Amino acid sequence: MNIKSTIAAINQMQADGVIERYAIGGAVGATFYLEPVATLDVDVFITFRPEAGSLLATAQPVFDYLKARGGRMEGEYIVVAGWPVQFLPAASPLVEEALAQAVEKDVAGMSARVFTAEHLAAIALQTGRAKDKARLLQFIETGALDPARFHAIISRHGLLEAWKRFEKQFLGDTP
Amino acid sequence: MTFDLAKILRSKREFRQRLAARPIEEKLAMLDALRERALALRPTRSALETGTLHEEPPPYRGQGGQSR
Repeated sequence: MNIKSTIAAINQMQADGVIERYAIGGAVGATFYLEPVATLDVDVFITFRPEAGSLLATAQPVFDYLKARGGRMEGEYIVVAGWPVQFLPAASPLVEEALAQAVEKDVAGMSARVFTAEHLAAIALQTGRAKDKARLLQFIETGALDPARFHAIISRHGLLEAWKRFEKQFLGDTP
Repeated sequence: MTFDLAKILRSKREFRQRLAARPIEEKLAMLDALRERALALRPTRSALETGTLHEEPPPYRGQGGQSR
C-alpha cells in the first residue's frame, strides 16, 4: 500500500494520453495543506474523454488502462497500489473550476496535481457533511486559506449563505 | 500535566500545525499508515469479502449552498 505509487500511476496514465487532466481532491488533496487525516480512498477528478465514435464520455478507458497494469475493480473504485481510487467527473461549476485551476505539487521529485486549498475548502462547504465541516475548520485554523481568494470562490458559486451559516455555527465565538 | 482547557486546546492546535507543516512525502506516508490502521480497526463484511474498504463519496453537487 503506497499512495505515492498510486499518484505515479495516475501521472503515467495522463502522460499516456488516457486522461487530459486530473486533480486530487478529498482528504488526500487536503493532506497537501493540512495535517493528515485517516481516509480510505483517493478522489481523483478528471476530464473524461469521449470514446472514439461516441459523444459519451466514460471512465471505461481509465479502468481498462489501469486493469491492464494490475489495477483491480472494486465496485465503482479501482484499486491501484493498494488504494481504492474513485475517478469523478467535474460535475458542477465549482468542481470544474477547481479542476481547471488545480496546482502542481512536488512530491519528492514527482509531480502531483491537486485542488487549491481554497477550492478544497469551498467544496467542503458545498458538500456540507460533518467531516467536510471539520475539514473546513481545519483549513481555517491552520491558516491555509487566502481569505480573499476563498471569498471570491464562494461568492462566484452561490455559497455565501452556506458560509454565513457555517460562520454562525462554528466561528461565532472565535476571538 | 495541566487541566487548563485553553492551554490544552492551544497545545493541540500547535501540534496539528506542526503536523500540517511536515513535508508532503512524510504526510503521504502517514496516510498509508493511517489507512492500514483504519483497515485493521474497521473490519466489515464487505472488507472481509473483498479485502478493501472505502468511503461513500461526497455529493459533489452542482447547486450551491444547501447541504441537505
